Amino acid sequence: MPADPKLIRNFSIIAHIDHGKSTLADRILEFTGALSDREKQAQFLDKMDIERERGITIKAQTVRLEYKAKDGVVYRLHLIDTPGHVDFNYEVSRSLSACEGALLVVDASQGVEAQTVANVFLALDNNLEIIPVLNKIDLPSADVDRTKQEIEDVIGLDCDGAIAASAKSGVGIEEILEAVVARVPAPKGDPTAPLRALIFDSWYDSYRGAVVMVRVVDGTIRKGQKIQFMATGRDYELVEIGVFSPHATALQELGPGEVGFLAANIKSVVDTKIGDTVTDSVHPSTDALPGYKEVKPMVFAGIFPTDSAQYEDLRDALSKLHMNDAAFVFEPDTSEALGFGFRCGFLGLLHMEIIQERLEREYNLDLITTAPSVVYHCYMHDGTMKVIENPARLPMTNMMLRIEEPIFRMTVHVPSTYVGAVLALCQERRGEQKSIQYASAERVIITYDMPLSEVLFDFHDKLKSVSRGYASMDYELIGYRADDLIRLDMLVNGEALDALSVIVHRDKAFARGRDLAVKLKEIVPRQQYEVAIQASIGSKIIARTTVRAMRKDVTAKCYGGDISRKRKLLEKQKEGKKRMKMVGSVEIPQEAFLAILKID
Amino acid sequence: MKPIGVYIHFPWCLKKCPYCDFVSFAKDRADIDHAGYAEAVLAELALRRGELAGRPLRSVFFGGGTPSLWSPSELGRVLTAVLEAAGGGEGAEITVECNPTSLDEDRARALRDHGVNRLSVGVQGLDPARLKFLGRLHDPDGGLASVEAALRSGMPRVSADLIYGVAIGAEAPSPIESAAEVDRVAATGVTHVSAYSLTIEPGTQFGELARKGRLPIAPDDAVAEAFFAIEEKLQARGLVHYEISNYARSGDEAQHNLGYWRGTDYLGLGCAAYGTIGDAAGHAVRYRNVPDPARYAKAARDGDLAALVESEEPLDPETRLRERIMLGLRLRDGFDLEGSARELGISAWTADRRRAADRLIARGDLTLEGGHLRLPPHARVHADGITAALF
Repeated sequence: MPADPKLIRNFSIIAHIDHGKSTLADRILEFTGALSDREKQAQFLDKMDIERERGITIKAQTVRLEYKAKDGVVYRLHLIDTPGHVDFNYEVSRSLSACEGALLVVDASQGVEAQTVANVFLALDNNLEIIPVLNKIDLPSADVDRTKQEIEDVIGLDCDGAIAASAKSGVGIEEILEAVVARVPAPKGDPTAPLRALIFDSWYDSYRGAVVMVRVVDGTIRKGQKIQFMATGRDYELVEIGVFSPHATALQELGPGEVGFLAANIKSVVDTKIGDTVTDSVHPSTDALPGYKEVKPMVFAGIFPTDSAQYEDLRDALSKLHMNDAAFVFEPDTSEALGFGFRCGFLGLLHMEIIQERLEREYNLDLITTAPSVVYHCYMHDGTMKVIENPARLPMTNMMLRIEEPIFRMTVHVPSTYVGAVLALCQERRGEQKSIQYASAERVIITYDMPLSEVLFDFHDKLKSVSRGYASMDYELIGYRADDLIRLDMLVNGEALDALSVIVHRDKAFARGRDLAVKLKEIVPRQQYEVAIQASIGSKIIARTTVRAMRKDVTAKCYGGDISRKRKLLEKQKEGKKRMKMVGSVEIPQEAFLAILKID
Repeated sequence: MKPIGVYIHFPWCLKKCPYCDFVSFAKDRADIDHAGYAEAVLAELALRRGELAGRPLRSVFFGGGTPSLWSPSELGRVLTAVLEAAGGGEGAEITVECNPTSLDEDRARALRDHGVNRLSVGVQGLDPARLKFLGRLHDPDGGLASVEAALRSGMPRVSADLIYGVAIGAEAPSPIESAAEVDRVAATGVTHVSAYSLTIEPGTQFGELARKGRLPIAPDDAVAEAFFAIEEKLQARGLVHYEISNYARSGDEAQHNLGYWRGTDYLGLGCAAYGTIGDAAGHAVRYRNVPDPARYAKAARDGDLAALVESEEPLDPETRLRERIMLGLRLRDGFDLEGSARELGISAWTADRRRAADRLIARGDLTLEGGHLRLPPHARVHADGITAALF
C-alpha cells in the first residue's frame, strides 16, 4: 500500500568528505531499527571496498525507514544518499531533486568546506528545506557557535534550529529525526495525474539487468505496468518494484512521493539516463520532469594492459563497468608504445582513479594508465572542427587555425591567511581572476576561470599544500577558449613514446619538458644499458636526462641456506617487471605514464 | 638413485663478522662443548639416516660458523657416522670451512687423517685496513700462512675465499688492487678460489649501518670492473670461471656446491642447517633446523624431529624450476631447462618465459641450444635481472 503522502518525508544528507555523513546515516538506520546488531558494522551504506577505504560515497544508496515520532504517528522516511565528490555533481543534483529536505552536516571542528557549499546551493536550487547539523561535538576541538556563525555567514542559512550531534557516539539522532518529520515538507503529488517518476540512480544487477532508483512524483507505478523512459523513448514491462529497508523488499506499487527501485529487463545502464522521467506507455505524461541533461566525460586517458594477452579481459571488464556507470565511456585505441588498449572518458580524476582501481582489484588486471587529457577543439583551415581527446592525435600545427580548451570556473574557499598563496597558484595555472569575496572576516571565496588542463595537474594537491589543507574547491565547466597550445613529446632512447605526449601552453613547454625529463629519470629504473630521456617540440629537443646503466646486478653468494630468500627476492622483482612495459628494449614502469601529474 | 650431499653446520666463531648473515655465535674455543655438539648431530643423523640409505653420497660439507674450530676428532666422529650411513661414501668430496685463526699445519693434517679431503680457507683479503673493516681477526700474512700450511699438510684440495668491492670511507676500491690480491692468493697454488663481491645483508651489522646510511658502499661500476679484472687474472692462471663467484682448475670444482647449483638434494644436519629433499613427483621440502644451539641439542637428544625443525617450506615443481633457473644460470655451462622441466614433470616454457627468453637472446644476453640455457660471459654481471625476467 502506498503511504499517505502526508506521512512521507524524503531527505538526503549533504556533507563534506570526512564530516561524518555515512556514520550519521548508519546511526539513523540503527535508531529506526532498520539494522540488526550484526549489521551494525561501520558505514553500512557504502557498499564497495573502495568507498569504505577512501571514506567517500560513489554510488548513492537509498533506504526506506519507518519512524514512530513523538506525536505517536509512524512516518515513512526515505533517506536518499548522495555521492560526495565534485566529479559526480550531476548525480548529486538529481538525487537532491528527489527530496524535499536535506540535513546539512558540518564538522563542528572543521567548519564549512567549498564542496558542501556547492551542494547546499544545489539543494536550495531544488527548494529543499535544510536542517543544519553540527556533527562531531564530542571532539575537543569542536566549536558549535563559531560553526553556526560560519554557516550563517558563508551560506546565509539561519542556524537557530541547528542540531548539535555526534554521529559517532549517537548524540542528537532522535532530535534529527524529529526535525525531519516536523520541518521537511511532505511531498506534493497528483495521484490521479499520468505517471511521472524521476530516475536519480541506476546500477547493473547480474540477475535483474539495469535497475533504476526512482522518486514517484505523480500517479502510481505498479508491477506489470508498461512504462516508458521519456528521454530515450524506450518501453519496458515492469518486472519488479521494491525498496531497500535496508535489504531489498519487493512491493506491488509505489505512490506519489514514494521512492524505490524498478527492474524491467533493461539490458544496460546506458539506457537508464539519470534525470530521465518514467511514465506510463499507454497514458504517457506530456511533460517530462525538468532538469534532465546528458552527462559528458570531461577527462580522457588511455588504459592499456601491460600484458597484451589481457586485452580481451580488459575489454570485458570495461564493458561490465560501463554497464554500471553510463558516465564512463571507452573505445578501442592503439599506441605505438603501448600497443592495443582503450581510450576512456571520465567525469574527473577521482572517477578515473576509481575505475582504474576497480579494474585492477576486481578484475585482477595489470594496467598502464596514461596521463589524463582534456578534450580539445581544433579548428581547421578547411572550416571543420576536430574533437581531440588524445594528445598524440593532435593535427599538424600548420593545418589548424586555433585550438580551444575547456575552461572551468573555480570557486575556492580559503582562510584569509592563505589568500596570497592561493592567488599566486591560480595565477600560475593560467587562471583569470573573477572575484575575491570575504564571506566572513576569516573566510574568503576566490573565483577564477581556469583551463581544466591546469586543474588536472595536481591543482587540488597544490591548493591543499599552499593552504595547509584548509582550502577547498569546486568547479564547473563554463565553455571553451583558444590559447597558444602545442604538443610536447617525450622520447626514450630516441623513440617517441606517444603515450607520454601532452598538450601544453607554449610558455610552459620548456619548463614542463625539463621537469618531465627529470621526473622520468627518477622513475625509470636503471637498466643494463644507458637510457636517454628527451623532451621535444616538433623535431626540436628541448631537454635531456640520462638514466645511467646498471653495471652490476648479480647475487654474489647462493648456497643451500640462501636459495629460498634469493628466489623470493627475484620473484618479487619479477612481479615488479610485470607492471612495466617494454618499450623497445627499455622497461618503463606504469607510473612513468602518469609522471606529468607528479611534477612540481 | 640420485646422488645426495650432506651439509653440517657448526654455529660458533671466535668473533662474529659484521657482514656475515649465517647463524653463528661468538665463543672461545675452550667454551664450546665439542663432544656435546657431536652427540647432538649424531642423534639427528640417527633420525634422518633413512634419507641417505642407498643413495650415492656426492659430498659432505662442514660449514658455519667456523667448523675448523671444532675438535678434529669430534668432527671426525660425525664424518665417520655420515659415511657409514651412506654405505661408505667412496669418492665423496669432504670439505671443511676454515678461518686462518683456527688453521695451522697440524690442524689440517689432523682433519686429513679423519678423512677430510678439501679445505676452504676464509682469507677474505690481503689489505690490513680492509681486513680490519671486515672484522677479521687475522692479518694478511696470517691469511696467506694458513693457506700455505693447508697446502703443505698434504690436503688433496685447498680453496681460498676472498671478498672484493669493499669501500672504506669515501675511497672506492680499486679493481686493479682487488685483482692483484686475488692473484697473489692464487699464486700460493690453490686449485680453487671463491671471489665474492661484498653483499650487504639485512639483519647484519653492516645491514644496519647501511640502512642508516652510515656504511660506505662501493659504486657498482667499480665492482663490475673488479669482477672482470679478477676473471682475467684467474683465467690466466688456468682457473676456470665455472660459477659467478667461483674459479677452479678443471676437475677441482666444488662438488658439494655444484649440487646446490644443479638442484640436487642435500641433507642438512646441525643447528640452523638447511636441507632440501625431493620426491618422485617433482615436489620437494626445504627444512631448516632451529637456530638456537641449546634448543637444537635438546631436540636432537630427545629424538624429537618436530622440535628440531624451525620451519618447512614445500616447493612445488614450478618453484623448483625457478630455482633451477636462478642457480643454473650461475654456472658457466648453464643448465638444461627443458631436461629439468621434464624431470620435474612440468612444461619448461610459459608464454611469458618464452617471450623473455626471445628478447634476451636477441639482445645477446642469453643463449639457448637444444633446451639448454646459458649466460654469455659479459651477461653474468646481470644474472639477477635476467633470471627474474625468466621466472
